[in-house]
Amino acid sequence: MARDRYSPPALGVSGLTKSYHGRPVLKGVDFQVECGELVAFLGANGSGKSTTLKCVAGLAEPDAGTIRLQGTELSGLSGKTLAAARSQAAMVFQKIHLVPRRTALDNVCAGALARTSGPASLSPLFFSRALREEALDCLDRVGLADRALEKVGRLSGGQQQRVAVARALCQRAGVLLADEPVSALDPNAAEHIMALLAELAHTHQLAVAAVLHQPALAQRHADRAIGLLHGRIVFDGPAAGLGADIQDQLYSPERTSAA
Amino acid sequence: MSLQTHQPDTATPPIATPSAAAGSRPPLPKDPQRHRKRALWGTAAVVIVILHLLALEGTGFEPVLLVEGWQGMARFIADSFPPSLDWEGVIAPGLEATLVTLWIGLLGTTLSVPTALLLAVLAARTTTPHRLAYQVSRSILSFFRAVPDIVFALIFVTAVGLGPFAGVLALICHNTGVMGKLWAESLEETDQGPQQALSTTGASRLQQIAHSSLPLVTPQFVGLLLYRFDVNVRSSLVLGLVGAGGIGLLINQAIKSFQFDAMLSHIIIVLVLIIVVDQASAFIRKRLSL
Repeated sequence: MARDRYSPPALGVSGLTKSYHGRPVLKGVDFQVECGELVAFLGANGSGKSTTLKCVAGLAEPDAGTIRLQGTELSGLSGKTLAAARSQAAMVFQKIHLVPRRTALDNVCAGALARTSGPASLSPLFFSRALREEALDCLDRVGLADRALEKVGRLSGGQQQRVAVARALCQRAGVLLADEPVSALDPNAAEHIMALLAELAHTHQLAVAAVLHQPALAQRHADRAIGLLHGRIVFDGPAAGLGADIQDQLYSPERTSAA
Repeated sequence: MSLQTHQPDTATPPIATPSAAAGSRPPLPKDPQRHRKRALWGTAAVVIVILHLLALEGTGFEPVLLVEGWQGMARFIADSFPPSLDWEGVIAPGLEATLVTLWIGLLGTTLSVPTALLLAVLAARTTTPHRLAYQVSRSILSFFRAVPDIVFALIFVTAVGLGPFAGVLALICHNTGVMGKLWAESLEETDQGPQQALSTTGASRLQQIAHSSLPLVTPQFVGLLLYRFDVNVRSSLVLGLVGAGGIGLLINQAIKSFQFDAMLSHIIIVLVLIIVVDQASAFIRKRLSL
């Protein structure tokens, strides 16, 4: 994607390593995601795709390597400055992780908690008018403005995932991380969510990194694909170039010994 | 081939005997755990039987006594029949005292909510800010839970004198311990995903608790609160016996002055109260889960 030669990438990762209980999961991962592009992360179970996103989101602590969000390096930061830097990356989960008993609007407002204070930060009863308006804008961008006051638990899986995307938008993050966002959805809903993520990348200039399990979805919606095998990047190129040979390499049983 | 020999037909498959099946798959493996488990269950059974024999001995548990003494019981019940319907002397004071019992149970439950909530959040592994806070609040909860409310009542009577106030204070203390523990457990059992999701937005720990953990457990919290209210109303009856006022006190006085008919009236009032409280809390819990 075209960008100013001197502006840093929205997300830059280099030399990322991580092991769980002595078993290496990431063995030096380097990549960048620019504003306005949707990058799909592919690979067999245990290849390290999700761990990469978790390290960026702060849900896992990397052993080594640097992570830059909008030019700010995360290592060395702590407390509030780290939280502020981290809020530059929003995450969407396979299991959606909304509060089902609350309305879609209240769930979306919760994305803005990092910049609210006082009573409003502790109960939805005190969310400001401005925040509620902004949340409704976010719901509108995912096509759910008419369901704002519906309890999330009553929405379909695909609609719930769209609310989760709206919450990420309300966070005003430049980077959107999606960890298997469509694995729990039916094919139609999956297409819808992927089209939405691509649209957000292209028209709202978000940098979107999405872990996917279906290469076909990546080919249809992503600009670029990154393939991981045993904790290393073995493919980084246009999603259209994701040929059968690369897919064989990523998913063949001899190469992917992991569970 | 004669009919008597009964040779198997080649077209029908031979009946699979265990030995035949064993040929095509590995033999049944020896499970060394089986003997250990058997020994464990056997030992547990013996220990439990011995404990019960000791307990029966220690409590003087002799059903013969109950069978032989049934006339005493029958006479006592017969003496209290029919229940007194004296409005001025029995029913009106009974209803008034029942209201006091209800108030003790209500305040004992609601006034322990702030302390129980704070301690529950600190004492749940998923929401506690620090290991030390976790350990300390667990210990406080254990203490309040271990001391029976009746002991707290006896202690508070020495400070505030006989009466319902001592009963309320006693229930607040004991209920903080029990409800805090129950709430902490439901906090630990709840789905951590939404809290994790909020942590990635940069929300503070307190915000994560306020916007994900607590709303997720609200139905369980209210259910447990109503259950404790139910229990506390019954406890305040017993507290009345040690001087904390309410209908328990009237029952005790009626027995001491041999007014068994008044006692029976009071017990009937208590039964009605408990059924009403039980049904009301069941109704609210049902509405809540919808």
